[in-house]
Amino acid sequence: MIDDERAIRLLCRVNLAASGMEVIEAADGRAGLELARKERPDLVLLDVMMPDVDGWTVARELAEGMETRDIPVVFLTARADTADKRLGEQLGGVGYLVKPFDPVSIGDYVEDVLSRIERGEREQLRREISSGRER
Amino acid sequence: MTTVESSEAADRARRLQRVAELLAVAVTPEQVLDAILTEGVRAAEARAGSIGVVSEDGERIELLAQIGYRPEVMEDWQEFRVDAPTPMSDVIRTGEPIFISSVQERNRLYPSLAQVGQEDGHALVVVPLAVEGRVFGAISLSFDHDIEFEPERREMKIALARQAAQAITRSRLYAAEQAMRERMTFLAEASQLLASSLDYNRTLRRLAQLCVPRLADWCAIDMVDEDGGIERLAVAHEDPEKVKWAYELQERYPPDPDAQRGVPQVLRSGEPDFLPTIPEQLLEDAIGDDHELRRIVDELGLKSSIAVPLIARGRTLGALSLIAAERHPVFTAADLELAIELGRRAAVAVDNARLYREAERGANAARALAYVADGVVLLDRDGTVRHWNPAAAAITGVSEDDALGRPVAEVVPAWDSLTTHVQLLAPGSAPRPVTVPIVVGGHERWVAVSGVKFGGGTVYALQDVTEERALEKTRSDFVATASHELRTPLAAVYGAVRTLRRDDVQLSESDKAQFLEMIESEATRLAKIVDQILVAGQLDAGAVELELTECNPAEVAAGVIESAATHVPESISLSLDAREPPQIACDPNKLRQVLVNLVDNAVKYSPDGGAVVLRVRGDNGSCRIDVLDEGLGIPSGEQSRIFEKFYRLDPQQTHGVGGSGLGLYICRELVERMDGRLTVESEPGKGSRFSVVLPVRA
Repeated sequence: MIDDERAIRLLCRVNLAASGMEVIEAADGRAGLELARKERPDLVLLDVMMPDVDGWTVARELAEGMETRDIPVVFLTARADTADKRLGEQLGGVGYLVKPFDPVSIGDYVEDVLSRIERGEREQLRREISSGRER
Repeated sequence: MTTVESSEAADRARRLQRVAELLAVAVTPEQVLDAILTEGVRAAEARAGSIGVVSEDGERIELLAQIGYRPEVMEDWQEFRVDAPTPMSDVIRTGEPIFISSVQERNRLYPSLAQVGQEDGHALVVVPLAVEGRVFGAISLSFDHDIEFEPERREMKIALARQAAQAITRSRLYAAEQAMRERMTFLAEASQLLASSLDYNRTLRRLAQLCVPRLADWCAIDMVDEDGGIERLAVAHEDPEKVKWAYELQERYPPDPDAQRGVPQVLRSGEPDFLPTIPEQLLEDAIGDDHELRRIVDELGLKSSIAVPLIARGRTLGALSLIAAERHPVFTAADLELAIELGRRAAVAVDNARLYREAERGANAARALAYVADGVVLLDRDGTVRHWNPAAAAITGVSEDDALGRPVAEVVPAWDSLTTHVQLLAPGSAPRPVTVPIVVGGHERWVAVSGVKFGGGTVYALQDVTEERALEKTRSDFVATASHELRTPLAAVYGAVRTLRRDDVQLSESDKAQFLEMIESEATRLAKIVDQILVAGQLDAGAVELELTECNPAEVAAGVIESAATHVPESISLSLDAREPPQIACDPNKLRQVLVNLVDNAVKYSPDGGAVVLRVRGDNGSCRIDVLDEGLGIPSGEQSRIFEKFYRLDPQQTHGVGGSGLGLYICRELVERMDGRLTVESEPGKGSRFSVVLPVRA
């Protein structure tokens, strides 16, 4: 979970934990990249607007890293423009959640994404970002 | 010669001498005629006398003056033909005097006169008036008894006529010269008047005024208007009541533009129309059965008229009319000449004034086009550039010299794409500009283009709206960013409530407490963002009004510290350091707002145990208020960016609620509106100093 907002991190941690997931957190882009490289999580929830190293940069660098490029990235952001979603798709995201979001269903959402990737639908997930199907 | 005869001769000589003396001092024709008739007739011992002269055309004889005749006798003899069978006609034709001793002799010689003056008719003498052998008239003398004229008496009458002829000729020359001089004076005055102003309407009205009563009883000036109609510009008469009357008359009886006489004819033909005597029939035709009109015409007593064209550069601009009525004598050829000359001069003056006005209008239009901020481009029907004003040159980056006379597609290669979307309008329609981008000198500029198509081509107006567009973009960016900023705290509040209401998960007490705290702080933050968006929007729109008053900065600072102390964590020390600061001119509420924000920021970024100091000092004609902290500091690369809208430093390790990203932007805007400066100095790891510098009150 990479987000500079403590409140959002707390929300995700509590609700994902309720679904039996383990959450590790970073409060900025740089720390998030380091954590991802070190821990190789099953999925990254990534905020976009962060000072210094923003979410786009994080996604790009994860995609470029040999060890990190297979980690699925779900954007969790206040940026709701179509152009932003398209960028998220281009950067290889598998999901795009717009704030405000319902944290209660986030556990189910992450499980669904992971199982679809398991089924080889990663590319389809990616294309769904800008095709207008909102979660 | 007898004594009686010699004394009579001496008497005659004396009388003749006396007449000669009188004629010598008589100057005007009136004085001369008077002297001849009163003294001459008496000197000749005649009962009555008259003076007749040949008219200008040599056809008629006009009686200039008479004395002693009964009016009813003379009524028919004011004017008669040179070939009429009368003694005066014969004398004028032959140049020989006629001496008739009795009425019987007269009736024998002139049978047609048998009934004229029969009862008191006696001897009659008619002698020619001649100068340098040219006979121009005659004097007739009638006596109250029959006389056989002896040579001496005949000689005396001839001598009298000789003296009279010279005097009349001299006086006529004098009168002619006098008239000439008057005309010249009049023309000089008129010329001066015509040259006095470019307001020719007013000048022509004054010219008409100048003509009465010196030139005529009435003067009117009519001008041809733009549509070819006739517009009466001026009517003048000595009596303003009559002028009013004339205008009413004109309204009631508008002139027929196709009339074969008068002004309409003069305007059509460009030739003068001269009626030395207005024929009775002409007036009758005009009057018809209109009794009212007959009454008016009778009252006006129109005698003689002149209408001359105002012609300049071959164009008839109008007409000047003169009328002799109740006072002025009938017009002569000399009057016509003067009127023609007057008309010519007036036309030149009008033409000059119009040319000047046109030139001035053109010059003004050129000035307007040269200085207007909008680009103005005129293309002819073939798309060739005919006008390219300086603003058009600046907007397109192509100089006037490079554009004029060339096809516009060559001048600006992007012209077609520039104007493809521009809907060409008809003259007079409201413009509907289309904004399109063009590249000038490597920079993209946005231009609002509108075009109007008219008979001679198309005129385009170009407006550089690059800055407006940038401002527009800033504004829409602001809205987009503001909505993003609102989404995060909204997500926190909504998410916290949703999580707290989950019944499938047992939350720890500390988690619950954290969520409740989150709801409170994020809701507060939301309110603050909304507030600041409003303020920032007002600042951008220039709608924030500041009231600059005299104020003590130390007092404002003390208030800020006092209120901050209530919510600052105990781990952070907060203090005020104010030393005799000067009075400043500022808006105390806005200054308080700025300082609260800076102190809140300082506290937010302070580590535990850190100190925040508010320091107020006089500094070289200004007042300096520093907010110092011992926090992380700001990397030098970001020090200028923190004042931008929605720019936020890494909010790690902050105390209290998150910021809106607008606080410092608003602070700097407010300080600058109070003629002050807001700056920051910082060393990462050691802390920051934000400084507000405000001018001391003058």
